[in-house]
Amino acid sequence: MTETHRHDRHTVALMGNPNTGKSSLFSALTGTRQKIANFPGVTVEAKIGTARFDNSEITIIDLPGTYSLAARSPDERVATDALLGRIEGTPKPDGVIIVLDASSLDRNTYIATQLMEFGLPAVIALTMVDVAESRGITIDAARLSETLGVPVVPINAPRGTGIEELKETLHRTLHHPGNLLELDYPEDFKRGVDTLHAYLCDLSVKLGFKPARPEALRLLVDGAGPFFDECEEVGGAEFTDKFFEIRERAAAGRSLSMAEAQTRYGAIGKWMQEVKQTEAREGRTKTDVVDSILTHKLWGSLIFVALMTLIFQSIYSWSGPLMDLIDGGFGSLGDWVGGMMSEGALKSLVVDGVIGGVGGVLIFLPQILILFLFIAILEDLGYMARAAFLMDKLMSRFGLSGRSFIPLLSGFACAIPAVMGARVIEDRNTRLTTMFLAPFMSCTARLPVYVLFIAAFVPEVTYLGFIELQGLVLLAMYCVGALAAIPTALVLKKGILKSKVTPFLLELPSYKMPRAKAVARTLWDKGGSFVKRAGTIILAVTILVWAAGYFPQSDELDAQFDAEIESVEARYNETVVAFDPDTDQESLIAEFKALDDAFYAKTTELEVEHASDDDRLQAASKNEKAKLIDEVGTLAAKSPRHAQALNDYQSWAELQEQRQEIENTRAGAHLENSYLGRVGHAIEPAVEPLGWDWRIGMAAVASFPAREVIVATLGTIFNLGGDQDEESATLREVVQNAKRSDGSKLFDLATALSIMVFFALCAQCAATLAVMRRETNSWKWPIASFVYMTGLAYICALVTFQVASALGA
Amino acid sequence: MSNDTLDKLPIGATATVTDVQGDPQLQQRILEMGVLPGTQVQVVRYAPLGDPIEIKVMGYNLSLRKAEAKHVSVEVTA
Repeated sequence: MTETHRHDRHTVALMGNPNTGKSSLFSALTGTRQKIANFPGVTVEAKIGTARFDNSEITIIDLPGTYSLAARSPDERVATDALLGRIEGTPKPDGVIIVLDASSLDRNTYIATQLMEFGLPAVIALTMVDVAESRGITIDAARLSETLGVPVVPINAPRGTGIEELKETLHRTLHHPGNLLELDYPEDFKRGVDTLHAYLCDLSVKLGFKPARPEALRLLVDGAGPFFDECEEVGGAEFTDKFFEIRERAAAGRSLSMAEAQTRYGAIGKWMQEVKQTEAREGRTKTDVVDSILTHKLWGSLIFVALMTLIFQSIYSWSGPLMDLIDGGFGSLGDWVGGMMSEGALKSLVVDGVIGGVGGVLIFLPQILILFLFIAILEDLGYMARAAFLMDKLMSRFGLSGRSFIPLLSGFACAIPAVMGARVIEDRNTRLTTMFLAPFMSCTARLPVYVLFIAAFVPEVTYLGFIELQGLVLLAMYCVGALAAIPTALVLKKGILKSKVTPFLLELPSYKMPRAKAVARTLWDKGGSFVKRAGTIILAVTILVWAAGYFPQSDELDAQFDAEIESVEARYNETVVAFDPDTDQESLIAEFKALDDAFYAKTTELEVEHASDDDRLQAASKNEKAKLIDEVGTLAAKSPRHAQALNDYQSWAELQEQRQEIENTRAGAHLENSYLGRVGHAIEPAVEPLGWDWRIGMAAVASFPAREVIVATLGTIFNLGGDQDEESATLREVVQNAKRSDGSKLFDLATALSIMVFFALCAQCAATLAVMRRETNSWKWPIASFVYMTGLAYICALVTFQVASALGA
Repeated sequence: MSNDTLDKLPIGATATVTDVQGDPQLQQRILEMGVLPGTQVQVVRYAPLGDPIEIKVMGYNLSLRKAEAKHVSVEVTA
């Protein structure tokens, strides 16, 4: 008999092994009504969504996949805490959906036995039935349900089959009490659990909750972990003594883990005999066939290297056009908004601070998304586990794990997803080491610095006809980061973050076709996460730096420059002959201007067209120039009024140039006078050994929120205005010719190298540090990273400069 | 009764697990993943650099380091 319950509300937890299609099921049940839930104090995230059935609403908490409820770290404890409703802000589940993969049912049932010992209403969702069948495995769902005392619903989430039935069964099950599973543990074991449970209940007032019996079992077997720590804290030495006494008696000389595992798998074995039929199949599974290539000694390695190179390459080449688009877009936005505002602090704040800052974050979005796309596809496919498998030995040599490889590789795009990606590493110390090393992988924000200085100071020499020196130096800069990472890793792992043997045990799941929807959803979640986290920090710090570079304003300085502009304008007004009231004069001047504009447009076109070929560019430019001179000459010769118009136009054009120069110098002077500039001057003695002067020091400080800001900052401080980018020929020339106060050249190869080395190693990304703080739940690590990397950068830059100068660079 | 351990088996070998030792956390994880006395395992391959090992157990593929596998005592059956 079905009962209709109006506006029912229930909560269920969704649990099961990793790689079972749990997320697919979650999406199928909740559609778009899902959001990510963060838990206080841990890095584990869950998804919470709502499923609708009839008039009822079922809140579903999708907890991360796990093989067992054994909890040796706070992250692992989350599953049990969530199940028992102990997490603040997360509703207490009334029931649980256990997802079991039919193709490896034995191992999957392990956690099911643990969950069923809580006695909550439960439903089993049986997935991958098709995969099982292709291997000759048939599961009798009805029989399984009978044996376990829990309804079993076969489902195929991607196709949507069984979802309605699952909801209906779930709804029905939630209105009845659950079945408590009781396994046949050894007598000593059972008694131990009972005794411990009773003792823990005595402690419940101090603990603040009444532990469930399965928790006592867990504590007895695990012997350590967050729950143990909690009990020790409230129970003191008395608890510890009693605990180990109970434990010893329960174990009776053998291992408690062994007893638990044997009891569970013993029961599972018996059940499988009644429920599972396996046909002996000839030949290997599809996954095995694919793996014979993908993990093959030679082919597997080659394919792996090729794949990583592809990812690496695409991050650079595919993101280029997108980045230009974003850059241009924000540039236009800045101009448009700026055009509507009057000069002043607000305008500068909005245009340079906010729009510039937001643009500075979003410009990295294409790379991040491309990287996340690859990772999501490979993860969904099942390849990521193979990547960890292939790289583990190499990574272990540096105290890392195979699972560290992809996060570190991500670091070459951006350290932020790299630090976030380290979450997959179970071992805390390896995870921390990986996060600490991520910023050493030269991220794309360092590229503009490298490009500018290499183009300016490294000679365009080619060896053997195709190896360019400039390319080699670029490669060398990347290596600097990696080389610094290696000893750092070893020091960390041998010293501070030394950890005992960390279980690598990694399941190699069967390959699955990546699902577009799931990948898209992951992309959306991760991309959004990046924009929110990194975005807010970068924006905040950008505004801070903007303020430091804008204030204090100086009226005297302004008056000085205003006076200069006035005098230049006065001179112009003197030289320009009063216009003939004949209106033709203005239109004639306009004609000359039109020729000039066309010339500049053509030149820009040519620069793009011949971007890689300097000679062709020179020739084409000379050509255009000659054409212009010709056209201008012809037009001017038409009449004396034309000649006068040309004169007027040239004076007017010169006035514009002079005005611009004065404005640029004004900007430069303001910057020097600002707090940022003063900081630059203040640290000058400290940066002199690096071959720098106050301007470079200031630019380095200014690039703290985002490294590439240095290029624009250098542009401003050298009076070129703030629009310069690393490819700008003007900036390059200025950098090559800039002088110190004593007349000697500011930049030479040695200085250039020291700047690049500094940028390669310095921790200059507030966003990365912010993400590090979030992932490690403490300020210790980001601060350590900042201090260590900046210190290392300083020393290496110093050494580089001294050595390079000595060698006569 | 042979004294073999899982890290010493050649590719393709099938064996039955006789014991699992190692530090408590490692032992527990190995057991939870289905590698426990009485279970059949088969060595599928070694990673290109020689480590870790991939085995087939309880109908799925598991990879583990040699340093972990050496705590699993086995008796070779094929």
